[in-house]
Amino acid sequence: MNSVLLEARDLHKTYRLGRVDVPVLRGCSLQARRGEFLAVLGSSGSGKSTLLHVMGGLDRPDAGGGAGGGEVLHDGRALSTLSSRALDRYRARTVGFVFQFYHLLPELSVLENAMLPGLVPGGLGKAAARARAATLLDQFGLGHRLGHRPRELSGGERQRTAIARAMVNDPEVLLADEPTGNLDEHTGEDILGLLSEAHAGGLTIVMVTHDQRIADRADRAVRLVDGRLDTA
Amino acid sequence: MTRMIPLLAVAAVALCVALVIVVISVMTGFLDMVRASGQTLMGDVSVVFYIRGIPDYDRLITSIESRPEAAAATPVVDTWGLLRMPYPDGDAKESQQVQIWGIDPASFSTVTGFEDTLHWDGVPDNTADDMRWDLLRTASGPLVKGMSVEQKATLLRLSAQEELKGAGDEQVHALVATVSDADLQNRLHLLAFDLPKLLQVLDEDDVATLEAMEPRLWNPELVVSDGVSLTRNGEPAMVSGLHVSKANQRTHTGEYEVLADGHWWMPRFSGTLTTLPIDSRGGLLEPESIILPFANEFASGVYLIDQTRVMVPIETVQRLTHLDAAETVDPIDPTRVIGSKPARATMVLVRAADGVDPLTLRAAVRDAYRDFEKESESLGRIVPRLDRDHGLGIKTWEEQNAAFIGPVEKERELMRTLFSIVYLVCGALIVAIFWAIVYEKTRDIGILRSVGASRMGIVHIFLLYGLSVGVLGALGGVGLGWLITTNMEGIHEAMSAPPLWLGVALLVASLGVIIWTLANLSNGRLLPRLMGLLGAAVLGLAGVAELIVRDAGGFVLWDPAVYYFTDIPDAVDWGSAWVTAGGAVLVSVLAAAIPAARAADIDPVGALRYE
Repeated sequence: MNSVLLEARDLHKTYRLGRVDVPVLRGCSLQARRGEFLAVLGSSGSGKSTLLHVMGGLDRPDAGGGAGGGEVLHDGRALSTLSSRALDRYRARTVGFVFQFYHLLPELSVLENAMLPGLVPGGLGKAAARARAATLLDQFGLGHRLGHRPRELSGGERQRTAIARAMVNDPEVLLADEPTGNLDEHTGEDILGLLSEAHAGGLTIVMVTHDQRIADRADRAVRLVDGRLDTA
Repeated sequence: MTRMIPLLAVAAVALCVALVIVVISVMTGFLDMVRASGQTLMGDVSVVFYIRGIPDYDRLITSIESRPEAAAATPVVDTWGLLRMPYPDGDAKESQQVQIWGIDPASFSTVTGFEDTLHWDGVPDNTADDMRWDLLRTASGPLVKGMSVEQKATLLRLSAQEELKGAGDEQVHALVATVSDADLQNRLHLLAFDLPKLLQVLDEDDVATLEAMEPRLWNPELVVSDGVSLTRNGEPAMVSGLHVSKANQRTHTGEYEVLADGHWWMPRFSGTLTTLPIDSRGGLLEPESIILPFANEFASGVYLIDQTRVMVPIETVQRLTHLDAAETVDPIDPTRVIGSKPARATMVLVRAADGVDPLTLRAAVRDAYRDFEKESESLGRIVPRLDRDHGLGIKTWEEQNAAFIGPVEKERELMRTLFSIVYLVCGALIVAIFWAIVYEKTRDIGILRSVGASRMGIVHIFLLYGLSVGVLGALGGVGLGWLITTNMEGIHEAMSAPPLWLGVALLVASLGVIIWTLANLSNGRLLPRLMGLLGAAVLGLAGVAELIVRDAGGFVLWDPAVYYFTDIPDAVDWGSAWVTAGGAVLVSVLAAAIPAARAADIDPVGALRYE
C-alpha cells in the first residue's frame, strides 16, 4: 500500500475572467500521506479552494495532461486516466467534501442530507446510508435533530451535518474548505474537535484555511502563495 | 415559490389534458350520436326504391324473413308533405313541412323499437284539467238533468262558499229545489279542476258516460297503445315527432312542458296532412289531403327526425301518394279495366338477428332480393331489378347515412389534430418552468455532483421530475376532464341560466380580496399587492360578466335546433383520454430533457463557489 494517499503533481489551473486569463495554480505540488491531517494555509484568492476541487475530482487541471496542467494521483493512479463514471465513483467513495457554507439541500431533513452520498451509484445504498448517517449524526450530537430542516439549525449544527454527509460513504480522505470560516470561534473549535476525532479514527484530512491558528491543529501545514506551495 | 412552480407545471399539464379530453369526448359522443341516429327508427339494413316504390313487398318481406340473418322486416312509404297544425286558435293555422312515414305499426315496432320512443305515457296533469273542462262543457247539461237530489245537494255543498258549511241535510235539500239547472251546470263545470270533489258528485253511470267520451282520461295506457297502433278511438291516427309541434317546450331540467298550461297537447287534436302524389312518369297529380288525429308523439333524441317526421298508417300514406293497390284502365276507354297495380312501399327496413353485423345482413338481404326477383319473374310480376334499376339500393344504416356521418368523423379528426397543438404549449411551459427550476437549483446540482452524482444522474433526476409532473398532471387532467365531461349538461344548464348568487358571491369575494389586500399589505411590497388587486379584478370581472350574461338570458351553447341532438354527449371517450394522458406524460418527459441536459452541463465548481 502506498503511503502517499493523494498527490498533486505540478498542478496548473487558469480561469478565464472576461477577456483575461487568471492563473490560479502555477505548478502546485502536494502529497497527503495516508492517515495524515494536512492543512493548506493561504490568503484569500491564493487558489486553495481550487486546489481542493482539483484534488477532489470536482475540477480538472488545465488541459494538456501530465506535461501541461499537472496531475492528481490517488494511490498512485492519475485521476485523468479515470473514466467519467470512475471519477463520479471517486467523488462518491474516495473523497468527502466539507464546504465553508455547508451546502446542505434546504428541502431535505438533516438525516436525508447526511445520507445523500449513499444514494448515488457506488454509494452504500439507501438502508446502509440511513443507518450510517444516523450513527454519525448521533455521534456528532445531532441525534435529536434528524427530522429537522437545515434552516432550523445553527451554523455549527449545519456544519456537523455537512461533515456527517462527507463521511457517510466512509471516504479515504476528507477535503475541508475553510470548515470553520463561517462560524464563531467557539463553534469553530467544536468543528475542529470533530475533525480531530475523525482523524484519530484513521481518516486522512486535507483542510484549507487562511487562519494560522487553525492550521496549527493539523499534523502538518503547507502554505500556498501565488499558486505555488511554500513549505511552512 | 419553489414549491409553487412545480405545481404550476402540474396544473398546466392537467388543464391541457382536460381540455383535449373534453373536446375529444364531446366530439366522439357527438359522432356516436350521429351514428346511432342513423340507426334510430331505421333498422340495420334497408331496401330503398324511392318515388315509384317496390310492389309486392309482402313477398319480399317473406323472402327476407326466411333468412336466418334477418330478425324482422317492415315496409315503409316515405314522402314529404305539409302538416296543418291545430294551433293557434282561429282560422290562420300554422303549417309545417314534414317527412311522412307510412308504417305498419306492428312490424315497424319489432324492427325499430318505435314503441320505446313514444313520449307520452298518459295525459299530463294540467292537460287533463283542461280536457275535463272541455268535456264538462258539453256534458254538464245532460249530467245535471240526470242527477238525483242527493247528488245535487252534494254538488251544492262542495261548490258553495262558507254559508252552507253548517247547514243540515233538510236545509240543503230545500235549497236544491230553488237552484236552477244552469246554475248547477256552472257549479259542476267549475269542478273540472278538482277531480276528487267531482267524483263525489258523480255516480258510476255519470263516470261511465264521461269515460266513453274521453277514455284516455281514465285509462292512461290508452295513450301508449294508441301510439303503438296508430289509432285513436279505433280510427287511423298519426304520431308526430316531439318537435314537430311548437307547443312542446323543453325546460331547463330536460323535461317537456306543453304550452298554454297544457292546452296544446297534440294528442287531443287533429292535423291535416297534404301531399303531392307523383305519377309513374314523374308528373305531378292533384294534391291529396287527409285529416288525422294525433295519437301520441315520439322522441327519438335526434332533433332532425323529431322535428320533421310524422308516422302514419301505411295504407293512408299509400293512398296519399297513389302507391296503393289500384286497377289499371284502358287509356282510351277508362271504363275498361285492363289489370291491377299492387300496393307499393318505398322502403323495406330490416333488423338483424342477434349477433349478425349489418354487412352480413346486407349480403343476406341482397340474396333474398334476388330470390324475390326470380319468384316475381315466374309469377309474371314486374319488380325493380338490382342490376337494372339504379334507384334501387340495399344499404346498411351506415351507408345510408354516410353523407351525414363522414363529415362529423372528419371534424373529429380535425379537432384532434388542432388540439394536439395544446401539447406544444404544454411542452413549452414545462421547458420554461424546468429551466427556471434548474436555474434556482444550480447550487444544489453542484452539491449533488460533489457527493458523486454523475451527469446522467442529474439528467435522470430531472427526467424523473418531468415524469412525475407529467403523470400527476395527466391523472389530474383525466379527472378534471371526466368531471367536466360528465357534468356537461349541468354546466350547460348553469350557463344558460346562471344563478344570481354566483355573480353576487364573485363580487363579494372580489371586494373581500380588495379589503384584505389593502388591510394586510402596508409593508410596501409590490408583488403581493399586485397579485391581490389582480385577483380582485379577475373575480370582479367574472362576477360582472356573469350578471351581464344572466341579464341577457344566459348562453345557449348547445341549441338543439342547430346540433340535431337534444342532449349533449356526456360520456368520456376513455380510449382517447388515456392516449391523451400518455401523450402528455411523454411530452412532459421530453420537454424536461432539455433543462435536464442544461443541468447536467452545469460546472459544479462554479455552482458551489459562492453562497
